[in-house]
Amino acid sequence: MAAPVVEAEASGRAASRPPARERKNGRFSVHFAHYKWLYLLLLPGVLYFAIFRYGPMYGVSIAFKDYVPFLGINGSPWVGFQHFQDFFANPDFPRLLWNTLVLAFLNLGIAFPLTIVLALLLNEVRLTILKRTVQTLVYIPHFLSWTIVASLSFLLFALDIGPLFQFLNTVMGTNTDFLSDPAWFRPLIVLQEIWKNTGWGTIIFLAALATVDQDQYEAAIIDGAGRFRRVWHITLPGIRSTIIVMLILAIGQMLNTGFEQIYLMTNALNREVADVFDTYVYFVGITQGAYSYSTAVGLFKAVVGIVLIFGTNALAKRFNQSGLF
Amino acid sequence: MIRRKFSLAAAVVTASAISLTACSGGETPAADLTTVSIMAPFLEAQPPSADGAVQKKLEELTGKDVNIAWTPNSSYEDKTNITLAGSGIPHIMVIQGKTPGFVKNAEAGAFWDLTDKLDDYPNLKTTFPEIQQNASVNGKVYGVFRGRAPMRAAVMFRQDWLDKLGLEAPKTTEDLYKVAKAFTEQDPDGNGQDDTWGITIPKWGALGTNSPYDFIETWYGAGNRWTEKDGKLIPSFETEEFLEANRFVKKMVDEKLINPDFATFDGTKWNEPFFNGKGGIIVDVDSRVSVLVNLFKQADPNNFENKVGFVGNLEGPDGELHAHPTDGYSGFLAVPKASVRTEAELDKVLEFLNTLNSKDVAILLNNGIEGVNFTVEDGKAATIKPETEEGKVVNTDIKSYPQLGMNVKGNEFYPVKQATDYEQQVFDKRTEVMARDLESAVYNPAAPYVSATYVAKGAQLDNIVADARIKYLAGQIDEQGLKDAIKLWNTSGGDKVKEEINKLWQDNK
Repeated sequence: MAAPVVEAEASGRAASRPPARERKNGRFSVHFAHYKWLYLLLLPGVLYFAIFRYGPMYGVSIAFKDYVPFLGINGSPWVGFQHFQDFFANPDFPRLLWNTLVLAFLNLGIAFPLTIVLALLLNEVRLTILKRTVQTLVYIPHFLSWTIVASLSFLLFALDIGPLFQFLNTVMGTNTDFLSDPAWFRPLIVLQEIWKNTGWGTIIFLAALATVDQDQYEAAIIDGAGRFRRVWHITLPGIRSTIIVMLILAIGQMLNTGFEQIYLMTNALNREVADVFDTYVYFVGITQGAYSYSTAVGLFKAVVGIVLIFGTNALAKRFNQSGLF
Repeated sequence: MIRRKFSLAAAVVTASAISLTACSGGETPAADLTTVSIMAPFLEAQPPSADGAVQKKLEELTGKDVNIAWTPNSSYEDKTNITLAGSGIPHIMVIQGKTPGFVKNAEAGAFWDLTDKLDDYPNLKTTFPEIQQNASVNGKVYGVFRGRAPMRAAVMFRQDWLDKLGLEAPKTTEDLYKVAKAFTEQDPDGNGQDDTWGITIPKWGALGTNSPYDFIETWYGAGNRWTEKDGKLIPSFETEEFLEANRFVKKMVDEKLINPDFATFDGTKWNEPFFNGKGGIIVDVDSRVSVLVNLFKQADPNNFENKVGFVGNLEGPDGELHAHPTDGYSGFLAVPKASVRTEAELDKVLEFLNTLNSKDVAILLNNGIEGVNFTVEDGKAATIKPETEEGKVVNTDIKSYPQLGMNVKGNEFYPVKQATDYEQQVFDKRTEVMARDLESAVYNPAAPYVSATYVAKGAQLDNIVADARIKYLAGQIDEQGLKDAIKLWNTSGGDKVKEEINKLWQDNK
């Protein structure tokens, strides 16, 4: 099997400056022939993405149709941007957008920095056994499903009998039902998010922290820098690029406000602030069978997500000359 | 979320691929229909055994190979749509209700219109034409309805508390208030502490879903979802009685006669406060009476009688009984056109359905096999104890097989003989009370009609009023806020729903 490759290579080299297009084609076939086993190795991955990621995207076309399952994707009538128009004109739209954005920014503004802070704190712990134990403990909540987190919240905040209900109301001197008070919905969601995912999020930052040059710390200590100075001038600049990459990824996921979590915490009294794109798509699409309309909403969300990723990436490049791609 | 859409599409692709292979043996020319395929939901942990005695007997009685695709109830609606979008569609599909998805499919021509067909078959010709009408889509019958007890509303209370306080069982909504107040304030459990309340209501907001709120509104005379006023149909929540009923419930909430966490209380724990002696009243369907009796029986088999008392629907403040019925059906068995192509084939399938709805098959589906898992005693089915290995399988399977039952001529199978005399008494009283209330039933005049606007966004619309109702009861908004929400319902598209429903109603009068 090696012979044709050698031959092809030889003929490719032998040709002395053919016309541009021919040269290009020639080069590609040579290139392909040369690396054919690598291409073969690539094939399963390409097929996977083509069949399971890109192929199903064909279904997105139902956002522009009036989809009836019986008529199928192809047979359903084309309605163009009708569903998008309906959605933007819908009185629910501003409320959904506002709720989604507020929750997204709360998560980004509170939960994301906390991850870095926790990673820095862990990094400063010198006692290895303590560090490892704390790390393991803060990872655990990540593996609990939202159903369990919600159930725990219901128990802790249960009206009159929940321990946190009693504690917080005693401290604040109020009598608030945290589970149904709209004002407490967002704090609860952010609190759950922090409890569940902050520990897990530190993994990548801890890995980045391990790469920071230890000599710089020694030099800084000799120069008389305290702990906070060292964190500020050495650690944080050292993991800056990681923070930016993680921020870009987080912003891309920003509108995914966590369907399960919000769905489980919603009730008639807090729905006003709880409804987000994800729960709306479920409610309208699955329970009401408006597949086209909810696909349009989901597609809109995905487009916003892409815009956010590219936007943040461009900003990051502009200010730091380093982006994600 | 968009990924969900993709995976839905992916699921369609794979599901159709799978069903292609699965059904390659089942696609017979229907001129001589030897195999009948049915898609049906199951609610148990396991689907019935494919080679169990019930399945064999069913094939023997119908003379066909019956191929049932049992599908988990939780994802049934999704699976229905995926099945319709793919190939390998079964001959008969259990459809669980007039969901927007079903209506769209039906109006696109996915199912046979059986309106003029059913009366030709003795076992499919219903003795309850009004229920068949309720189950239709604007008068078009797309399936054989699955009959269910049309009257189920009941008020159940702790009989021992009632006796201790020397009270009478409630007859009117005003009595309900008095009993709830006494249960809250007069220490019915005698532990010297103020730790009880009257009525327990779980998180249950949606309109027209037989919730405690719906029952009380109907009892007050607000009608049942829709009501006729001045020659027009209006939604119940636009009546004065609706506001009165909710003022009444709010009064009970304010006086703490209802559990304060009614907006968030988990419905699966509904029995617990009743059983544990916290909340003494439940307003729900009457089958819960037997569930509650059974709870007390399991805790103490020697002393469980007279713990649970119940009455049916309550008289409203106008002194009249407006009983709240269900729609009387739970979905229907529809015949897809994609698998049954010609009228001749349709006749064969309907013949099969006719056999499926015969008395013998109804007994098989609901009671099991006589001599294996039950015997007949005074016209009732008594479970054979101890159950044999075979009887055990049958007893498990008949929890799912009633999903295929239609009973359009009423229940022709045997009622189940209860385990103890007391339970038999309770069961008989339930039957009697519900039969009496049925005479005062207030039906939903709009039940047969499906408005296009409502299909498109009815659930969102109804949520406006449903949420406002809970907010009003919880004190988040006042009565004006509730009225504003009803106005918002109208301006957001409710006006159109009303118009369409009224037109359909007028046209079909």
